[in-house]
Parts: sequence; structure tokens; C-alpha cells
Amino acid sequence: MTHIAWVPERWVDAATDTLAGMGERHPSRTILLFPRPDEPRDELDGEVDLRCFVRAGEQGQVCSEVISLQLCGPRANAPASVAVPLLVPDLPVFLRWRGEPDFDGPALPQLTGVADRLVLDADEWSDCDATFARLPEIFDRITVSDIAWAKLQPWREACAALWPGGIAEADSLRVAGPRGETLLLWGWLQARLERRLELEHEPAGEVELVAIDGDEVPQPRATRASASDLLSDQLEIFSRDRIYEEAVRALEAVPA
Amino acid sequence: MSVSTKVEAPNPLEEGLRRRRTPEPCALTIFGASGDLTQRKLFPALYALAVRNLLPPKFGVVGVARTEMTDEEFREKMKQAIQDHARDGFQQDVWDEFAESIRYVATDFADQGGEEHVVKCLNELDEKHGTAANRIYYLAVPPSAIETIVVEMGKRRSAEGWTRVIVEKPFGYDLETARKLNEIVHEYFAEEEIFRIDHYLGKETVQNMLVLRFANGIFEPIWNRQFIDHVQITVAESLGIEGRADYYERAGAVRDIIQNHLLQLLALTAMEPPIDFTAESVRNEKVKVLKALHTPGPKHVVRGQYGPGHIEGEEVPGYREESDVAPDSMTETYVAAKLYVDNWRWADTPFYIRTGKRLPRRETTIAIQFKRAPHPPFELDSDDALRPNVLLIHIQPDEGVSLAVGAKVPGQGMSIRTVHMDFLYGGSFRTGLPEAYERLILDCMLGDATLFTRSDEVEEQWALVDAMVAPWKRDRPNFPNYEAGSWGPVSADELIHRDGRSWRRH
Repeated sequence: MTHIAWVPERWVDAATDTLAGMGERHPSRTILLFPRPDEPRDELDGEVDLRCFVRAGEQGQVCSEVISLQLCGPRANAPASVAVPLLVPDLPVFLRWRGEPDFDGPALPQLTGVADRLVLDADEWSDCDATFARLPEIFDRITVSDIAWAKLQPWREACAALWPGGIAEADSLRVAGPRGETLLLWGWLQARLERRLELEHEPAGEVELVAIDGDEVPQPRATRASASDLLSDQLEIFSRDRIYEEAVRALEAVPA
Repeated sequence: MSVSTKVEAPNPLEEGLRRRRTPEPCALTIFGASGDLTQRKLFPALYALAVRNLLPPKFGVVGVARTEMTDEEFREKMKQAIQDHARDGFQQDVWDEFAESIRYVATDFADQGGEEHVVKCLNELDEKHGTAANRIYYLAVPPSAIETIVVEMGKRRSAEGWTRVIVEKPFGYDLETARKLNEIVHEYFAEEEIFRIDHYLGKETVQNMLVLRFANGIFEPIWNRQFIDHVQITVAESLGIEGRADYYERAGAVRDIIQNHLLQLLALTAMEPPIDFTAESVRNEKVKVLKALHTPGPKHVVRGQYGPGHIEGEEVPGYREESDVAPDSMTETYVAAKLYVDNWRWADTPFYIRTGKRLPRRETTIAIQFKRAPHPPFELDSDDALRPNVLLIHIQPDEGVSLAVGAKVPGQGMSIRTVHMDFLYGGSFRTGLPEAYERLILDCMLGDATLFTRSDEVEEQWALVDAMVAPWKRDRPNFPNYEAGSWGPVSADELIHRDGRSWRRH
């Protein structure tokens, strides 16, 4: 497969770390696009690496091609024209967009035009409320994965285990966790239960507590999934996630 | 009269949840816990499941063996086994959680009361770890010990929860003993509670056989006698008997490999598409193939035994010089055979199978050789220049699939050379394929018997093997008849050369 990553400057380190873990699970051609629109020169800087990973417990190694491209100046406005000639023919193309999707810029529509799936992480967004409000604009253009949504899977299972119980008539949700995951859990419950829930949010680095109508949802077992594992899991999904889309669409009138 | 039926509303929160298959609480009892299999395969597999959170949240393991050990000593031994053999790096926190539920019972079932110790230990696990009286008994013991354990544990099966029994190969020694063993096990356990393990079926590439055949439109239309010239299945081992003379002297290659692994690979290659991927559907189709196997005559079966030779440059002894092997042993370490599947799809298409120890390298492959192109319009130097297409399924090592096709050699003229289109598992998917035992133990916990062998399959396999070995009682071949490090006896080459074919090149 081809894995395109759009990596604005502040995400370079995180993207490189994730790549190191992912290459072992998903041998692929990775095209790292580093936009540098403010550079005065109108140039492409490229570097090609062959990264080889020893296969755990086995002989031989697996090698992935990593093409790193700095899109300087106006070149940052035409990333698809750079990526398309480098795609592996006939195999799926995943676009990992680091940080907030830029709905109004040229890069996002161009790159979603050549990819089969867009992988986001709502926990990387500084303004989740506004971004979720605009996200449905692209649902009909490309299939969207969200790593924050994947992280919620154990909590969703824990909530589902409370059915039928009182959860069917729930009125309020309290979450201590990142804003992105909190909103997704809230939107999901509203969409699935078809009712409005009051949301109370306490910021935290990861989801630590979920309470429905004041009753804490039993803590799910730890998943021990790394960032690479979470991204790798998304690369194994091809179909459109209707439940996710409905959860995002249910995030109307987000409370402050 | 109207009948009202209460229909429970579906859980809307379940919709779209990509749930991992999580088993119900249960306790796994391993009989033969001090053995090699437990340390090399079973505990590393359980640990791999623990690392991936695939074990039930409420789980326990009881090791049972004759060796005197405390719980703590057994845990230490298993910890070492995991550190030595697990495919994942050792994680202390995973181990600590897992180790809490490990118990050990030292008993000889010949002793009165041994089984009571096991039951008592399981009851304690139910109380302390909430294993809900769900039991799996893993019989990693010699065939002679199976009956006693089945009877004693069968008599004491809990009225609550479910009980499943995993039986390691060999399941019986011949058709008669296999039938008797089936009868004994069926006296206490229903067929759906019995999981006869053949670890080959847990291998990713073996399962990929089904995907390759039935999820790709291009193969099935040509997967028959019209297009396929013949099939070759090879299970080659470079190792000798590795100190297992006691077992191997009785089993030989035919019972060690052909009766189970090789016939399973053949069945998967030749079976019709199942209507779904349930245990019954898949196994029904495999049994049809086994029933359709034509009994090979003596001329279609070759056996051999290795003499001294060299493996990877190292001098190795002959079979009869291995420790605890009789100096005049007539046990076969190599078998090749030509089989026919007498049905519409495969009539007159030979399946050449072979297995052996001390062959030049370890390799399990299924080679589907297609018929030659009928009338190539090229002027070629020789017929050999245009070789037939071969679809090669590598089961181990280097799991993957390759297709040999003819390609034009660049330059003037029209020279053709065979090239390979390869799909290597490690090159396209995550590395570190799950070990077969991980998949199979998890499937048993989930009650999914698709990748296990059913009683009628085992009996059909034994029926064929019995027929193959019956003539062997009447003759004494001149053993040893192949050198360690060679590809087997000359007679095996003759078996296939007689048909104008040859074993594939390695």
C-alpha cells in the first residue's frame, strides 16, 4: 500500500516515531510530505530511505520505502501532483493527516482526491468543536478514520455492556479525558440512543472516567496499544464507518 | 388463541462495534505440563494471548504432571519458558497478572485420588478467579495416558459451565485404536466438546489457502483437472528425531506427518467451496475429499530411512545410529506416495505427496502445477524452455505464495525464462505471524472447532494410512536407503518419473 502523511512542522517528531513502529507492521511505501509554505524558495527537497526491520523471531527482514519531501514555497499548494507519480499502482492509498484538517486550503481536497482513506486523530486538534462541526463536509468525498475514535473502543464496549439498564434513558454524561474523545463519546451516545445528553467535561491526557447519570462506567481493561498500533489498526479498515459519521453529525450545538 | 412473544430490543450501542472475540471465563488444565510442548508452545502461546488482551478477564491455568513441584516452582519454570520461547518481549506487568492465575498439581493418574486434586484446584480457581466452572482439558500426554484422563475427568465433569477437551496428535495408532478412542471420549463428551488438534491448521498460510482459493475469482475456475496437471505436497524436515526415539519408533513418518498434517493439506487443496466458514461446513467438505481418496497400491507408495550424511555441512548420524533407536529398526523416516481423489473435479489428476526427516532443508509447500500452454507460437531451443506455470504455496518457512510464469528474456530473438511473481507474507502484512497454538487455543476457548479435526475425518485419515502400510508387513526394504541431506530415496524419484514428471526443483 501507499501511506501518505501530511506532516506540518510541529508534528515531525511524532510522525517519525509512529512511522518507526508502523513500518514493521505494514510494509508499505510511505510518502512523507512536509509543507513549508513560508519558505521563500519554490523547490522540492527529497530524500529516499529504505528502512528495514528484522522480523521478530524469524529470519530475514522487511523493508519499507520512505520518501520524504519538503514542499517549499508555492509547491506546498500542489501536493497531489507530487504524490501521484509516486503511488504504488493498484494498491490502497491511506492519507494520514497530522493535526487539524485544513478544510479551506488546497492540500486537503487534493490529497483526499488521490487517497482511499483519510486517517485523522481528533486528540491532535486544538479546536475540536469547530473541526468536528466541519468534518461531515468531507464524509461523502473520502472514508474517514479517527484514531481518537479507535482509542474509545474499550469505553464504547463498556457502555454497551450496560444495555438495557438505565443507559437507554440516560440524561447526562461526564467524561474526564481529552476533548476529542469526549466529544466523540458524547456524539456516539446521542446518536445511538437518539436522545440529548447533558455533557460535563474535565480535561485529562487520556480518558480516565466516564459516568452516565452520575454512575461511573466500569473501567475497561488497558489495551497497551501504541500510536503505531492504533494507526496500523486503521490501515486494516477499508469500509466507511457509518457509526462514526453519525457520532460526529450528532455533535451539533456543542456546549462550551 | 393469541400467543404473545416478548422480543428484546436490540442494543443500539453494539452496532458497529468491531469487537474482538473475547472468550468467556474459563480454566485451562494442561495434562503433561512438565513436557516440552507445554514449555515451547503452550505457555508462550498463552502469554502471547495475554499480551494482546485476548485471554478472558477471568482465567486460570492448572498445570498437571507427575513431577513434584510447588505452584511457585511451576510459575518460575513457565516464566523461563516464556522468556526463552515467546515471540513477544517479556513484559513484567503482563506476566504478573497472568502468573496470578497459574496453579500446579503434581499427580500420577495411576494413583488413587489424583483427579480429585485437580478438581479441587479447579473449584478453587472458580471461587478465587471467577472461572465459572468452564473447563478446558488440554491432553498434552502420550496416547497411552489419554484414556485414563478422559474417563476420570469425564466422570467428574461439572454440572455447571461448559467443558471442552483438546487432544494432541497422534489420535490413535491406527483406525481401530482411533475408533476405540473416539468411543471412549464420546462416552463422556459430545463431539462438539472435543477439539482434536492438528497445529498445521492453525497456521496463517494454511488458512490463507482457503482465502486464496475462495476469495479470488481467478483461481477457482481453473482449480480442476482441466487445467491442473498435478499437485505436489512436500513436508520436508532437516532435523532428525531430536531425542524422540520412543515416539518415533512407533509412529514413523506415515503416522507422524502423513496421517494428519499432509492429508489435511491435501484436503484443503482439493475440497469444494464450503457454503460458509462454520466448523461443520468446512469439515464436511474436507471429509468428502478424504472419502474420495483412492487407496494407493504398493507401487504408488515409497518409504525410506536415512543413513548418515551431512546437513548444512555438519555430519549427522543415520537413523539407526540415533540414541534409543534399534540398530535394525525398520521405521520409515521418509514416505512418498501418489494419490488420486476420485471425484468429478480431480479424476486422473495425481497428488504426489512426500515427507521426510533429514532432508536438505525445512520446507512445507503445496505446488499446483498447471498444464503446459497447448501450442506456443514461438521457436524454442527445447520443450524445457517453456515450463508449466506453478502456483506455489509456501506454508513454512517464508510463508507466502508465488506463481511461476514464462517471461521473455530481453534482447533479440524469443528466449523465454521462468520468473516468479511473489507474495511474501512478511512483505505485505505485519510480521510476527501468530503462532498456530495461539489461534487454536483461543478458538477452543471460543468454542469454534473449524480448525480442529472431527472424528470422521480422523477415521478416514487412518483408514487410508492403514491401507498404505498394510503391504509393509510383508516386505523388508533395504534400509537405510537415502543419505541424510539428500531429497530421499531413488525410488521416490522413480515414482514420479514413471509418469513423465519430476519433483519440483528446490
